[in-house]
Amino acid sequence: MNVDMDKLKDIIGRSPQESNFLIAVLQDIQREFHYLPPEALTETARALNVPLSKVYGVATFYNAFSLDPRGEKVVRVCAGTACHIKGASLILEQLENGLGIKAGETTEDMKYTLEVVNCVGVCAMAPVITVNDKYYGNVRSDRVMRLVKKD
Amino acid sequence: MRIESIDQLNQWREKCRTEFEAQKRRILICLGTACRANGAIEVYEEFKKVLAEKNINDVSVEAVTKTGCHGYCALGPLVILEPEGTFYTKVKKINIPEIVEKTIENGEIIQRLLYKDANTKKRVADYNEIPFYARQQRIALRNAGNIDPNQIEHYIAVGGYQGMAKALTQMKPQEVIDEVSKSGLRGRGGGGFPTGRKWATCAKVESDIHYVICNGDEGDPGAFMDRTLMGSDPHSVLEGMIICAHAVGSIKGYIYVREEYPLAVINLKKAIEDAREFGLLGDNILGSDLCFDIQVNRGGGAFVCGESSALMKSVAGEIGEPRAKYIHSVVQGLYNKPTVLNNVESFATVPMIIEKGADWFTSFGTPKSPGTKVFSLAGKIMNSGLVEVPMGITLREIIFDIGGGIPNKRKFKAVQTGGPSGGCLPAEKLDLPCDFDSLTAAGSMMGSGGMVIMDDRTCMVEIARYFLGFLVMESCGKCVPCREGLYQLYQLCTKICEGKGTEEDLELMEKLSKTIEIGSLCGLGKSGPNPFVSTLLYFRDEYLAHIRDKKCPGGVCRNLITFTINDDCTGCLACIKACPTEAITGEKKKKHILDQELCTQCGSCYAVCKFDAIDIT
Amino acid sequence: MLLAVIRREGVDVPALCEHEAIEPCGSCRLCMVEITKKEWDGWKNHVTSCLYPVEDGLIVSTHTDQVMEIRKTILDLYMARCPGSEVIQKMAEEYGIYKTSYITVPDADNCIMCYACTRICEVLGKSAIAAVERGHRKVIAPPFGDVPPDCIGCLSCAHICPTDVIKWNDEDGTRTIWKKNFELITCKECGKNIISREFADYIIEKREVPAEYFETCDDCKRAEVARKMGSLVTRAKEVSL
Repeated sequence: MNVDMDKLKDIIGRSPQESNFLIAVLQDIQREFHYLPPEALTETARALNVPLSKVYGVATFYNAFSLDPRGEKVVRVCAGTACHIKGASLILEQLENGLGIKAGETTEDMKYTLEVVNCVGVCAMAPVITVNDKYYGNVRSDRVMRLVKKD
Repeated sequence: MRIESIDQLNQWREKCRTEFEAQKRRILICLGTACRANGAIEVYEEFKKVLAEKNINDVSVEAVTKTGCHGYCALGPLVILEPEGTFYTKVKKINIPEIVEKTIENGEIIQRLLYKDANTKKRVADYNEIPFYARQQRIALRNAGNIDPNQIEHYIAVGGYQGMAKALTQMKPQEVIDEVSKSGLRGRGGGGFPTGRKWATCAKVESDIHYVICNGDEGDPGAFMDRTLMGSDPHSVLEGMIICAHAVGSIKGYIYVREEYPLAVINLKKAIEDAREFGLLGDNILGSDLCFDIQVNRGGGAFVCGESSALMKSVAGEIGEPRAKYIHSVVQGLYNKPTVLNNVESFATVPMIIEKGADWFTSFGTPKSPGTKVFSLAGKIMNSGLVEVPMGITLREIIFDIGGGIPNKRKFKAVQTGGPSGGCLPAEKLDLPCDFDSLTAAGSMMGSGGMVIMDDRTCMVEIARYFLGFLVMESCGKCVPCREGLYQLYQLCTKICEGKGTEEDLELMEKLSKTIEIGSLCGLGKSGPNPFVSTLLYFRDEYLAHIRDKKCPGGVCRNLITFTINDDCTGCLACIKACPTEAITGEKKKKHILDQELCTQCGSCYAVCKFDAIDIT
Repeated sequence: MLLAVIRREGVDVPALCEHEAIEPCGSCRLCMVEITKKEWDGWKNHVTSCLYPVEDGLIVSTHTDQVMEIRKTILDLYMARCPGSEVIQKMAEEYGIYKTSYITVPDADNCIMCYACTRICEVLGKSAIAAVERGHRKVIAPPFGDVPPDCIGCLSCAHICPTDVIKWNDEDGTRTIWKKNFELITCKECGKNIISREFADYIIEKREVPAEYFETCDDCKRAEVARKMGSLVTRAKEVSL
């Protein structure tokens, strides 16, 4: 995949070129590209003067970052405690079967990425899924596939 | 406009207050995340549209106020009509023309949109009379749901930055510390460490710079009070931090917010910009010597970053691995400089303590845990949402009187407090007062105040396994007891859930838990075995049922349960459609048949059956 | 730190992640001891002695039942994690553990994740490798699991590794470590391998060592010195005669 290097350099250039902005810079790149292409890590390491191994360590340590390109729609299943006891695992199962991928994977046509998140903090509507930035509450396992396809 | 003295602040406040109160009719639309997800934005837009079209006397479009979370998330979208306090629940876009015409124009209340008391079946119009709100005492949440978080003028109008003004103009740093110490405020993030003592220690350390950090990395699954505070009343957090900066002599503050809370980040950043514009952040605040600014750092999504030393590493742009804290972070914290780290709720509470005094604060709560605490209620409970109550109130009062008890006529089984580091308390402990020490003594902990309520359809062994699984994923992996120990504890717990566990396994788990508790490097590891230890303490029978009888009393562990269809089946076909393995067959209006050979015990049928026709044994 | 004092007193306390060349990090937890003070009124604490600063009046117990239990459990856990490591097996046997009580970790290797390699690499100013991922999935690896661009083939990581996991190979004038190949400088006198070209260049640059320094190996340098000394002595004798 070709990465728009100008855009990448522009994002990195917006932040102070200091090592303590590493996470912030990677977040900005992640937001723009929806993942961290290898070029982004090398370029960030160079610009902020941080060893590449540390940039890679940070990129793999935090949940917010993905090193693989993600699908058009990122479906997140909340696995917070409230969602868990209200059947989140069943919802995840239905989505895994319905989309034909496991949590953390992306469909071959790059349409969907399925993820599990710890808690999105809207426990009152458990069980919750999010599709890109949209929240869906009181999700039913038998209808969740329809919900995702419709979104 | 820069506010450069307390007089200017007071003048500005008068102006804001006059404008705020001139709007007699205010239409408050809750735009918390839950209400938003249920269509609150459309409700807000529609209100503006309808009012603009109608052009009613005294009710301008400005009367429509988007507020932060109001707490009663179970009933959203919420609309409150001031000055009467009429409380409409589950409001949809199509209801708006009717609300405008009937209630706003003609003062008529629409009964079906009101809250309905589950016990008395009565409709209640005034939200102060709804049990969910009536028992609350809101200090930290004082403005949540009442003001627009994006308008600094609103915060000023309701008395905001008054505590800060008092601290900066009338109190020496030591006096601020003394007042906070006297209030007995204990860290709301979970540790319960006295805030005043923390500030005092930090202030005493000689250094070229002191830092103030607000921990908004609310990682406990099932807790959402900090998200609400940051999103609904961000200025209260800033004000608390500025007061702290004055007390310890800091020039730089950070707010570390979870990546998963985009709304909180947006509102905090807006609040900081506004505060800077009016000179409430920046150089010589209110003409005093205090120069202080705040930066928002988005967390990377790692539970361990709730731990102070890991959080500070993360603020510095590194991986969030904790360090041994034989030298405390108040002495050597961020960049090895003295650092005060407090939680969002603690900072939001501070301005009120300074403004109204420590004696006022200690009039709430218990002697050892003064004040109020925000709890989030979630799980198998009627009234999910946020409540703020005086410390010392019992679990029963919170869960049953305020929370409305357990839905679907099921039985209360346990309440999980304190997140993954906390524990599960059984029905026998319902009369336990909720304060730091009582919860800890009972084998759980306050944590950030998350409460997840569980009914009898919950398996406590599986819950322990769930939390252990969470911690295995979230452990930073630096030290052995946590990385390897929790992993093995999780494996053994899984073995029990699968019906393959032995009593020797249980013994091994108890022994291992002890080593993890003593031997781990940070709080995550040290408290990691808690979900297992507390469930074993109160629900040993359930563990033994899995081990000896190969049964799961909660009806959750798949290897140990059987699904059957009973005579209540009406033949509605719902379970047939839901079953992923086509194990259920049958015709419409005839009792369905479940083939045990094909059944994977996934529970899809149970989840969709409306007639209690699926038995789990 | 406390561990140094304990060892000075001749008391044997095990440790795997500790090494004099690097800052302590407290990851293996084996050096844990019990501490108390007279004024603590019987309150005790368990601390990793590699990280605990020495204080006046500290009463340290290195072999209490609880301390031994912690060490045993940790070694038991290591046995499940690194079933093939002789170092771990030997240590565990000293504590009476011959077989792990736990489930052997799938895809287990002998890395105990003590960070000694990454810490020494950082000390050397390269940080070519780092901890990747977190929790139980954590591994020590170069960026992208690929050939590490910053590695200079100095072998410090391999030499410091307590369980000897990091493999390297010198063959036909080429050194291989972390799947990266390095040209080896050979001694112009005896032809023995001396150092990787990149490591030599790094030292020359950072330490202002003359480039000729790496033309001969240590043995040949010593021999050269001995020759010179010998001739000096001979000359001195001649002079005195």
